[in-house]
Amino acid sequence: MTAPTPLVTRTTPETGSRGLIAGVGLLVATLTVASIAVGYAAIDLPAALGDWLAGRATLPALVLMELRLPRALLGGLVGFSLGLTGAVMQGYLRNPLADPGILGISSAAALGAVVVFYGGLAGSLSLALPLGGIAGAALAALGINGLAARGTGTLGLILAGIGLSSLAGALTALALNLAPNPYAALEIVFWLMGSLADRSMDHVRLCLPLMALGWILMLSTARALDALALGEDTAASLGFDLVSVRIRIVTGAALAVGSGVAVSGAIGFVGLVVPHLVRPLVGARPGASLWPSGLLGAALVLGADLVVRLLPTRPELKLGVVTALVGAPFLIALLFRREQGR
Amino acid sequence: MRALSLLGLVGGLAAYMASGLASAGETPAGPGWPSRIVSLNLCADELVLRLADRAQVAAVTTLAGDPRGSTVATEATGVPVTRGLAEEIVALKPDLVIAGAFTTRTTVGLLKRIGFPPLELGVPADFDGVRAQIRQVAAAVGHPERGEAMVAELDATLSQIVPASRSLRVMVLRPNAFTVSPGSLGDAIIRAAGLVNVAAEIGRDRTGSVPLEAAALADADLVVLDAGEAGTPSFADALLHHPILERIRAQGRTVPIPNRLWTCPGPQVAEVAARLAAAARERAPMSAPMKAP
Repeated sequence: MTAPTPLVTRTTPETGSRGLIAGVGLLVATLTVASIAVGYAAIDLPAALGDWLAGRATLPALVLMELRLPRALLGGLVGFSLGLTGAVMQGYLRNPLADPGILGISSAAALGAVVVFYGGLAGSLSLALPLGGIAGAALAALGINGLAARGTGTLGLILAGIGLSSLAGALTALALNLAPNPYAALEIVFWLMGSLADRSMDHVRLCLPLMALGWILMLSTARALDALALGEDTAASLGFDLVSVRIRIVTGAALAVGSGVAVSGAIGFVGLVVPHLVRPLVGARPGASLWPSGLLGAALVLGADLVVRLLPTRPELKLGVVTALVGAPFLIALLFRREQGR
Repeated sequence: MRALSLLGLVGGLAAYMASGLASAGETPAGPGWPSRIVSLNLCADELVLRLADRAQVAAVTTLAGDPRGSTVATEATGVPVTRGLAEEIVALKPDLVIAGAFTTRTTVGLLKRIGFPPLELGVPADFDGVRAQIRQVAAAVGHPERGEAMVAELDATLSQIVPASRSLRVMVLRPNAFTVSPGSLGDAIIRAAGLVNVAAEIGRDRTGSVPLEAAALADADLVVLDAGEAGTPSFADALLHHPILERIRAQGRTVPIPNRLWTCPGPQVAEVAARLAAAARERAPMSAPMKAP
């Protein structure tokens, strides 16, 4: 008798996967430093850092800690959330087109954040902003999950996502037009396309804990996702509690995407593109693609945020413009490949 | 066919307007004075409501009654409002329409086509332009003497300004980090207060908005922020409460001046210059050691 193969019981990443994580991690670290170094005004970074460490609140030190650092951190955090959520959803739904943007989760999160912020609730409780985003994202994720549970196919889910995105976008525009502040209606572009311009450490503090909780929940499903690649029955027979897996994925995605969108707006296509780039490198195991996808998502958003600042367009481009320029042709190519594969 | 029917519509409008003009002559407002003035622009609202008799004003814009943006919210109480749509204006049968050079262009275009050109007000870039515009509107509404009085009031306020001991550098930040562009009326106001506009030193996009970090690093002696709490949130306003600006506020470098006082040409722009100069005098004796080391 041979021993059962340890295919899905492996708990540590393979050596190749570790190398990939280290490499992409290094890329993220480099881009974070670059993001801090690039800005609209020249500052002496070492001197600014020295001032800050010495407790001198000079203007360069303030710009470094209150503008450059939160912008870089949020780029990495939001990108990690989108990349990770994309990889988890593609693995869980066994659907190569799953992405928080395409499935309408980001738009719904933006709607939730808009209703809370412009309705004035965030003034009395600042945590209301990410909570509003999470509520919107959770509703959308539950809806998508319900459709998937009824056996809706890949294209059916995408169509439902397009419908949900349009509806959430329209309701966001409606909420902004009804908002009492005269500037609100002008801010629709931020919510639809996303931006990290002039954010602060307050935004980092607001979204980080909820986001991290979402990551933990989603990362905990890595082994279950590997098993699910063999089918739900197989996964269940291997001892995975599929109800628990579903709850962790829906809650995790809502927490990570909802709190991210609440501070950055909806940035599309990151969660779609990244898992496809990672998958050939990790041997098509969904569980092994989670960490690399999150890190590559962080690298993509940080890179896009560098591009919008380096391009000479003023006012700067919204982040979603750059990610769509990369992601939309990618989506079209994926659809063509599916057609040819039939 | 479509062109013909459009022509017919325009002709009909012209006839309608002409009948309005004819009936206007019957009201006892004064010989040759307009008695049904319609304003299509907030800045025109402010001048019309201050210079014309209440009975002469047929309608102003919806903005006039909003105290957040208008300096004549009290005067506008009870005055009918329009959104500047052509059909609304025609129905009011005005005998004088005053419009801004950059707003409600469709309505202005239609009024011109039917042979009823409105008085179009430009955007003055200096105090001479402000004086000229006050006189222009005062003459059009039939009260040139009120225009002269308003100009005298403006000049009196300007002449009483005592500049600070040295020309401090000032930065104006409005919602969405919009600033005062060099060469604009706001720039002239800053110069009248004896100050230097920092916005000339840093890059602005073509809409006049500045990146927050460039605004902070410009290290202005005075930062003008509208302190008026809107009470209704937007990112545009929230930007003015960014931690980096709160630090500058905590250093006592901010001056609260409502945005509505800067917006339109009128006697209030001299008031802005006076307030800026007063803030600079308060600041001048102690400003030197506050620079970053």
